[in-house]
Amino acid sequence: MTQKVDVDKAVLMAAFARINVWGLAIAMGTVWALMIFAATAILIIKGAPPGVEVGPNLALIGIYLQDYTVTWSGAVIGAAYLWVIGAVFGFVLAMLWNLTHYLFITAVVVRAAWWKLMAD
Amino acid sequence: MSENNETNTLQGDDIKINLQLLHSVVRLNTLLMATVSGVIGGLSLFLITYLSLFRGLPEPGHYLNLLGVFLPGYKVSLSGAWIGLFWGAVIGAFLGGMFYRVYARSIESQVRRCIERNRVGGDLMQTTLRMSGKHLGLALGGVVSIGLVITTNWLVIRGTADESMNAMLLSNYLPGYTVSFWGSIVGGVQLFFITYIICLIFSWLYNIVAFSRGGHSCE
Repeated sequence: MTQKVDVDKAVLMAAFARINVWGLAIAMGTVWALMIFAATAILIIKGAPPGVEVGPNLALIGIYLQDYTVTWSGAVIGAAYLWVIGAVFGFVLAMLWNLTHYLFITAVVVRAAWWKLMAD
Repeated sequence: MSENNETNTLQGDDIKINLQLLHSVVRLNTLLMATVSGVIGGLSLFLITYLSLFRGLPEPGHYLNLLGVFLPGYKVSLSGAWIGLFWGAVIGAFLGGMFYRVYARSIESQVRRCIERNRVGGDLMQTTLRMSGKHLGLALGGVVSIGLVITTNWLVIRGTADESMNAMLLSNYLPGYTVSFWGSIVGGVQLFFITYIICLIFSWLYNIVAFSRGGHSCE
């Protein structure tokens, strides 16, 4: 019986494990920053014919990220922006995930306690 | 369903996992992930639409309006933002749910490792998630590459493939990608591998930060 309980607890531990908020924020910020840096760098390295702007469509990101351009300095600026945005996104995602689990488990515990009280 | 169908041997005959419990928590987590993704997806599209409207541009949403090709009724306007909220929530929820169903395939192996390493114990609510880069890559890579195949072929079916200059720009990053059936397959495969590698880096970073801060994992 003890073994059965341990296995069940292992299932619950694996399924209801909390996301580390800072871990997700830092990892997501870093990966998003690397992605925009790489996307910009690829276009700069590929280049464009003389007189033609490099990456005019990617440059539209500048609508949302002030001072972002398809240049090396723009790639760094974009990476800095995306690091912050990705970190905030990761932070919110982890908080929401943990909060929904917490609320659900609390509801289950309260309901169980209520039924136990009623049965007694 | 008989007891034999509900349990499965994980390590030897003495350790059995309650598959009914496992499937129940996976269903619950899928629902929660769909809810969280739906909220984030809907709010993101809503906010981006509003940001486009109030940035003072001469043609607000000139490019964002292209989403209307995939999201019926969507355009960069005050009412369009609400339609975007709806579509963002629906698509976010669907993709989030699909993502978790694939990722959840890692839970069984996590439970096995947890038992093998005798790590069962402690406070249930204080266990920290150890991310599996392989399963994250399979789940996210699968979702985004199938998404690329579906959206590309939607452009082909509606007969605007030749005019889809913006979609064609993806060939800058996915060599061989074209707005055609085979182009979508080529692009989808490449996107899968790129996403898979990104997920390996992502989960490696996450695990380093999470467990350097004293996190306790079941595995």
